[in-house]
Amino acid sequence: MQDKENYRIIVGLGSCGIASGGRKVYQKIKEEIKKRNIKVLLEETGCVGMCYNEVLIEVVINGSRILYKDINPDKVDRILDEHIGKGNVVNEWVAKAEGIATLDDSFFAKQERIALRNCGVISPESIEEYIDRDGYKAIEKAVSMSREEVVKEILNSGLRGRGGAGFPTGMKWRFAKEAKGEKKYFICNADEGDPGAFMDRSVIEGDPHSVIEGMLIGAYAIGADEGYIYVRAEYPLAVKRLYKAISQAEERNYLGENILGSNFSFKLHVKEGAGAFVCGEETALIASIEGKRGMPRIRPPFPAISGLWEKPTNINNVETLANIPWIINNGAEKYSKYGTEKSKGTKVFALAGKIKRGGLVEVPMGLTLREIIFDIGGGIKENRKFKAVQMGGPSGGCIPESLIDTTVDYDSITATGAIMGSGGMVVMDETTCMVDIARFFLNFTQNESCGKCTFCRVGTRRMLEILNRIVEGKGKEEDIYLLEELSSRIITTSLCGLGQTAPNPVLTTLRYFRNEYEAHIKEKKCPAHSCEALLRFEVIPELCKMCGKCAKACPENAIKWEKKQVAMIDKDKCIKCRACITSCKFMAIE
Amino acid sequence: MVKISLNGKEVQVKENATILEVANEYNIDIPTLCNDEKLAPFGSCWLCVVEVEGAKSLVPSCATKVREGMVVRTDTENIKKARRLCLELLFSDHYGDCLPPCQATCPAGVDIKKYLAFTREGNYTEAVKVIKENNPLPLICGRVCTRPCEEACRRNIVDEPVAIDFVKRFVADYDNQNGSFSPEVNKSSGKKVALIGAGPASLSAAYYLAIMGHACTIYEALPKPGGMLRYGIPEYRLPKKVLDDEIKKITDLGVEIKNNMALGNEITLEDLRKDYDAVFIGTGAHGSYKLGVEGEDLEGILSGIEFLRDMGLEKEVKLKGKIAIVGGGNTAIDAARTSLRLGADEVTIVYRRTEKEMPANDIEIKEAKHEGVNLHFLAAPTKVIGENGKVKAIECIKMELGEPDASGRQRPVPIEGSNFTIDIDFVIAAIGQFPQADILQQEGFETSRWKTIVTKNGSYVTNLEGVFAAGDVVTGAATAVEAIAGGKKAAISIDRYLKGEKLEGFKNLFTVSKGALEEIDKNEFEEERKPRQKMPELNLDERLASFKEVELGLDEHQAQEEANRCLKCGCEIEKDCILRNYGMEYEANLEKFKGGKKHKYPLDLSYTKISRDPNKCIRCGRCARICVEVKKIGALGFVNRGFEAIIDPPFGYNLAQTNCDGCGECVISCPTAALYSEEFPKNKAIL
Repeated sequence: MQDKENYRIIVGLGSCGIASGGRKVYQKIKEEIKKRNIKVLLEETGCVGMCYNEVLIEVVINGSRILYKDINPDKVDRILDEHIGKGNVVNEWVAKAEGIATLDDSFFAKQERIALRNCGVISPESIEEYIDRDGYKAIEKAVSMSREEVVKEILNSGLRGRGGAGFPTGMKWRFAKEAKGEKKYFICNADEGDPGAFMDRSVIEGDPHSVIEGMLIGAYAIGADEGYIYVRAEYPLAVKRLYKAISQAEERNYLGENILGSNFSFKLHVKEGAGAFVCGEETALIASIEGKRGMPRIRPPFPAISGLWEKPTNINNVETLANIPWIINNGAEKYSKYGTEKSKGTKVFALAGKIKRGGLVEVPMGLTLREIIFDIGGGIKENRKFKAVQMGGPSGGCIPESLIDTTVDYDSITATGAIMGSGGMVVMDETTCMVDIARFFLNFTQNESCGKCTFCRVGTRRMLEILNRIVEGKGKEEDIYLLEELSSRIITTSLCGLGQTAPNPVLTTLRYFRNEYEAHIKEKKCPAHSCEALLRFEVIPELCKMCGKCAKACPENAIKWEKKQVAMIDKDKCIKCRACITSCKFMAIE
Repeated sequence: MVKISLNGKEVQVKENATILEVANEYNIDIPTLCNDEKLAPFGSCWLCVVEVEGAKSLVPSCATKVREGMVVRTDTENIKKARRLCLELLFSDHYGDCLPPCQATCPAGVDIKKYLAFTREGNYTEAVKVIKENNPLPLICGRVCTRPCEEACRRNIVDEPVAIDFVKRFVADYDNQNGSFSPEVNKSSGKKVALIGAGPASLSAAYYLAIMGHACTIYEALPKPGGMLRYGIPEYRLPKKVLDDEIKKITDLGVEIKNNMALGNEITLEDLRKDYDAVFIGTGAHGSYKLGVEGEDLEGILSGIEFLRDMGLEKEVKLKGKIAIVGGGNTAIDAARTSLRLGADEVTIVYRRTEKEMPANDIEIKEAKHEGVNLHFLAAPTKVIGENGKVKAIECIKMELGEPDASGRQRPVPIEGSNFTIDIDFVIAAIGQFPQADILQQEGFETSRWKTIVTKNGSYVTNLEGVFAAGDVVTGAATAVEAIAGGKKAAISIDRYLKGEKLEGFKNLFTVSKGALEEIDKNEFEEERKPRQKMPELNLDERLASFKEVELGLDEHQAQEEANRCLKCGCEIEKDCILRNYGMEYEANLEKFKGGKKHKYPLDLSYTKISRDPNKCIRCGRCARICVEVKKIGALGFVNRGFEAIIDPPFGYNLAQTNCDGCGECVISCPTAALYSEEFPKNKAIL
């Protein structure tokens, strides 16, 4: 047997890696190691962020790390032959490695990884690896501090809630700490529900212990001895890793009675949510844990005063908690060096949509949208034109190209009409219809409303119906006003954040892309050439560059084209499959 | 105690009270649907919003506690708008008929369901009383009404509409013969009202004014009262004896009728305004349009309306041979059927559209055909051809239907070169009527381009102070029941005027509707089919030989059968519905979200004590919260999410399958008829 004692291969097995075939790659490597009878440690890790490059595997030899991208089982042999066998790095497949310049380096160049510090680096199922990277040092430090000192540290760090609303975490802890009551609860909100957002999932899948440690520190600070992680049942891998991490932490007395010999005890439960988006709202989440229907209630009283089982309760989001151990270990001052005056630290974003490098990134607050989308995300797929970026999911809004130099901090993003939100960033190009996007998000919220408040339950439905008729070419001129009237009322006459923000996607698109609404309504045209009912399948001669791509793309030979001639679509043959529209880079087919 | 400003007034209020509680204490009305004194504030309906100075937006008063120095307003325009929109959203998913469609459709708003119920009980006097609350001429309307109620009748979905008008005639005839109902009349107000014209509008106005205690005098231009009822509708449809009986019931109330007193001749408006405290004008639309073609001054061309008036005046009318009648309305049909009775050889109606577009009643068209009237559709006269100054033939052109016009009917377009002639002895033109504007203008009335009197803001007052108008003279040629409805509303306005009150418009009856007949799922009406009773009629020979009344009237058994066919549409709790009452108060526009999805659920009638109609549920959650929080039973709860959220028993059970103990608390708290029970009346003292 070859002695490869210090050789490790780590396969990215977050949900993104698995979806790209990571398990097959893992299996193949496992078989090959056995077949070749070599001693290589095979491990798994979470998402490193480069979801666009999955399956990623990392080869670590004596501490030198080489990250390979786009790996499939067929590529495994070559890596084992050349890199493990001969020590020769397969340069053309390298995504990231010290000393080797790659096209993907710019993906990491502007990132600062605090919440994601361990994601894609350690094995999420190994508490030892977590501990090796200063894991559970922070709770050890915290219990040696006074509770007030811990709260002050977090307050001084400037950390604000990463779940969306951006309320200062230290302040929240202070309210809960000062609330009267013997029994208090500390809850982690892992009910990540925005379409296109996967920050929390990646953190739990990649580094569950950091969340547990964050909770421990918080529970200690507010005086809670029991806690819940409320996690979506649709995240089975995250749930599995949480259970495993909790039992590991319990074994080592990081959880349980008299933690680390102190008089601080903490019992942690996992509560799997049944998939209601509204349960991400604090009071609905609490009701759900109590076994009631997940329905928000009137506040006050706030959960800090009367929460779970009417006891003082603090709720923080996953990403917020993942930052906590780092802050305690490194100090508030160091943390607050990142970011802007009012938005300290870093923020994790899930890049999705028409962007080249879709994935998970963590950047210091204060970068511009342009830096994130173009420098880190590599710009728009197929080199199309950037149109807008949707931030904040169903509660957020679309920020247009004219505002791409907006800095990413709570206040600047809010000023655009969008919100920071939990970190979803969906990038759109010229082929995205903004009315349709608004409709997509509104459809989501109207389905996910708990149904309690009149305006949210019926109002969003009526708005959706209006948007439906607009994209179907049946919009009426007064529809825009009706949308605005409903929007402004729904925002102010809903009990919880879901209703209060549900009209945002409509309002921001109306604000920045009103002309698209008007084109649908008055001219019965969709400027993005996207809305089915408004497509005519005709070539616009002024825009046609006579390249012939559409003719090649057409599966029915319905397009007549000759060199230096404008293409012509034979409507009798056309089956309206849209292949031509997709293939045309010049928006010349409508 | 804390001090707050409530609608500009400084008040001392209890600490810890909500704005809603404080407002109630000071008798300030704040609407709410979800708040319940038995329960903690829930904050779901958002109807109780108010303005608090400094707050970013409106706040729910049920859940907002007062604070020292708080400045609260409960009545601004912004608040009203928000509440209206809230109600409009609730109504947009509220499926039901508040009022039965017959009543909602009736121009006079007669409570048909109620009088059919009295008919079933055999209490015909009460039935007539119910009718006369809104329509003082049931003997007449029972014979000549155009019956929009029957077109709207939900029974159309099952088989045929309830013969509402036949029943009305039966109870009116019964009461006429056995003479009992007479309305209570208020004591004299000392005020005098003059009414010009003795048609249905004036008769109706006089009836209600008399009941209100005002002394009424009607001035009629013709020798006898009745207006178009006497001089437009032929004897065989409305016998003069019946008309006289009905008018007598009005003169019996003290109303005086002076005949042969025409406006502009025997009387002037100026004099009437001097002598009376108020004046009403309902002189109808007695002018008629001419054909407007070459040869229309030939001997043998008559105006339909003049022809019928001469019949009413019992003048000798000479008519024989072949008759062509131009037009498609009831006047054309009346002229045609009268012509037959006068002994015409052949009667042909020439109409420029098709039968479907004819404005005449279907039943009239049917009867005319039955009696032998020819109908010539898609033709219009282009010329009347004469010989020796007398009509000999009529030249027509064929038409085809083109694009729909403003009325929604397809516009008839002549087909060039398709002219044809019909040999004819007489032509009767019945192509439209209008008020005699020259006299009206001479008397000082402002008139419209349709020659009608212009009235202001729906209050029936004209440009002249203290002068009111209704009926055809305002609407142009319309139906008797519309004139009757207008007469009543004008009477109410006149009463307000005489009392020195503010004049205002009349709101339509507020009713949510399940929709037009064709929009309704047939399965909703699983009724046994029962054919409509046939009206006994005079046989054909007898009809053509005389002017005897054709329709003989239902017998008592038939009337009862018809009353039994009523589906008793409309809401179980109509007037007690808090949602509807707020809808009226805030003038919710029920059409605002027209076309949006409305839920349609099956009724849950599983439990004898309590019935559930989820179609009317507004998701306020009071029933479920009482059942869970107060009663600790949980027979009802929220299920589903988003727009599909509804309150239901758990696990798809019906109410009988739950452990409901029938306490009725849910019914009492429910602001609509989503939960109803005869045993438990609604809680009217809602917070």
